[in-house]
Amino acid sequence: MKRSLILVFAMTGLCAMPLAALAQTPASAVTPTPPPSDILPMVPSAKPGVYSQQTVSPARFRLTVTGKTFTSREAIEKYLAWRAAELTMAQKGTWFTLNEGRQAGDAGPEPVNDDPARAGKRYSFRMAYWRPVWRYKTAGAANWTVWSPFSGQAFFADGKDPKTISDFEVSADITIRKGTMDGANPLGFEASALSDLLINQVSPPE
Amino acid sequence: MISHTRFLLCSVAAASLTAMVQPASAAPWQRGFVVATYEYAFRYGGRAGFERAGDIEPGSDCLHGSSVHFANDKNTEAALKQPFRSKYEIEAISRPPGLEQVKAPVLTRFHIWNRAITYRAWKRGIETYVNPWAAEDPGQPEVTGKIATGFNLDGNSNTGGFVSEDGERGIDNALYRAWGCDAPWRGNGNATLHLRANDKMQGGLYTMVIRVSGNKDPMNDDNAIVEIGYSPDKITKNARGDVAADYSYRIVKSEQYTKLKARVRNGVVETEQVEELHAPRIAWFYDHAGDADFRKGKIRLEIAPDGNAKGLIGGYRDWRKLYTENTFAQDGGQQGIREHEDGVALYYALKRNADGMADSKTGEKMGISSTYRITAMPAYVVDSAKPLGVTIIQAEEKRKDAFLAIREATIKSTKTRIVQGVPPGTTQGAFPALERNIQDLPSKEFFLKVLDRPHYPGEAMEIEGERFNLKSGDELPAKPEPSKPAASDKQVRNETASAKVADAR
Repeated sequence: MKRSLILVFAMTGLCAMPLAALAQTPASAVTPTPPPSDILPMVPSAKPGVYSQQTVSPARFRLTVTGKTFTSREAIEKYLAWRAAELTMAQKGTWFTLNEGRQAGDAGPEPVNDDPARAGKRYSFRMAYWRPVWRYKTAGAANWTVWSPFSGQAFFADGKDPKTISDFEVSADITIRKGTMDGANPLGFEASALSDLLINQVSPPE
Repeated sequence: MISHTRFLLCSVAAASLTAMVQPASAAPWQRGFVVATYEYAFRYGGRAGFERAGDIEPGSDCLHGSSVHFANDKNTEAALKQPFRSKYEIEAISRPPGLEQVKAPVLTRFHIWNRAITYRAWKRGIETYVNPWAAEDPGQPEVTGKIATGFNLDGNSNTGGFVSEDGERGIDNALYRAWGCDAPWRGNGNATLHLRANDKMQGGLYTMVIRVSGNKDPMNDDNAIVEIGYSPDKITKNARGDVAADYSYRIVKSEQYTKLKARVRNGVVETEQVEELHAPRIAWFYDHAGDADFRKGKIRLEIAPDGNAKGLIGGYRDWRKLYTENTFAQDGGQQGIREHEDGVALYYALKRNADGMADSKTGEKMGISSTYRITAMPAYVVDSAKPLGVTIIQAEEKRKDAFLAIREATIKSTKTRIVQGVPPGTTQGAFPALERNIQDLPSKEFFLKVLDRPHYPGEAMEIEGERFNLKSGDELPAKPEPSKPAASDKQVRNETASAKVADAR
């Protein structure tokens, strides 16, 4: 019985895949290809297993990006930020906050809410405060090593040959919010504005 | 008989008394006004004598006072921390080496800063004011006070977040929240761009008129009409230099014009809320003048016993248009440095605070609630025997075309996220001003090499009436004028045919 159920699911999956593929292809066949300057920017789809999201509560999600080919911290963290923005909009939210999950003894600068040096400024986002947590494996290592931006340690890949990093994973815990964003919240990110900034910059890691 | 006579006498007396109390109760009436000042209704919260080091006029509206973008080399340095710039490049732009050796150091630094801040995107070559979304948000001080001038535009007292001066809740004036601390728009009657815009309007750039009419009492009429629109007749000033009372102005009805139903109570005129309210918009140059195009707009006008009026015009405005009107009157960098504002920060503040005109497909808020404040002098607003249009000044049309082109490019870029280039004819990126003013700076080669600038097809281009070599920035001889320029089909001139509007700058 269990085996036949698996077979049914597998068959459904096999049938559904080409259908889904077909559903996506006709658009380009029907619509003439626009000149290059009018092509809307688009981020390529991630390969299976690269991106995942976990629902912690109705408004809270844990997003993870995994890969084997380390490019740069900035590129991979920006891709995660773009996924967070897209998820927020898909959930009909307008902005999200990053839940840093600092722990006692953590180092690194605290996000600043409204210091006088910034003359009471409000922001749609501050990339300086997009600080997700990493874990990685070096070639031949059996176990993951965690690197936190609040550890006070230099970024794990700084000064290393990227090829020595065999696996990496970067994750962020976010809360999706609706309505006008609180521009004074240093951990607040307006989804639409962030997506605009990043869409031409990011691609999924491998 | 006696009683009849007494009755007649009483009736006559009563009728006379009634006539004395309400002399014009059923007579058609009309009042006209010419707008003397026209500004964003930003409530200033500064307090005389209250100072705090580093802040410009801190107040109940803006906790840290007005914006100070590009006010000094440190502020400019902070705005230039794009990943593609080296530490040396940032330092050199902020404090150009050899500046003390040039004839005009302030101007030279101004143009270097202008060109540098015009390119702050995530990679080199993307012009920032046309593509503000491609740069990080530099941050903008916003209004944190809870009192605002304006209307409850959405009819919901739980939204908007402001209370009016007389206690009405739910005031929607998100433009005030977004831009109310921006230096050129904040002040107690002395905001620099308010002064500039009013000076140019009073000097003849454009004229706005209002006509209120009804059939009962001008002070109390529940079936009145308000007309607002553009006049081709320039504002007349009196010997003291103030806007003069009781002059005649024709009203244009084909564009920038709206007719609204209204109610007058004790001299306060309150119009209905209409889907589209067209009227002239705030401008200080010919190129960016035009239709304010409020959505869900309304007007309130208080007529004083001396016949003068003050009031508010409110509604939702397309925030992308607002951004372009403010940024591209000249060029974004120039206005930013001169006025201590940052167009990119203003763009993000508008987008973040947008609260109306939701797109039916995406739900994106395309509009921002806003209120404009006016004062007006009594005038005769008259209809023209011939159809009228908005005045067209041929000499300024090329510059207007350039404004419209850069506005279109900007709106397209912000909606599609496709990077757009700078259309020709503008002065974006201080081109060719930098090339012309940097000649005696010892480090000129460095700046001309390292700083991006707009690039255009062809070899020569006309900017503000002068032709330039696109590679060197050198001025070229003017092209011979065509013998007869094409006349506009809706031209209504108040000035001599050869007049330019150079004085309007």
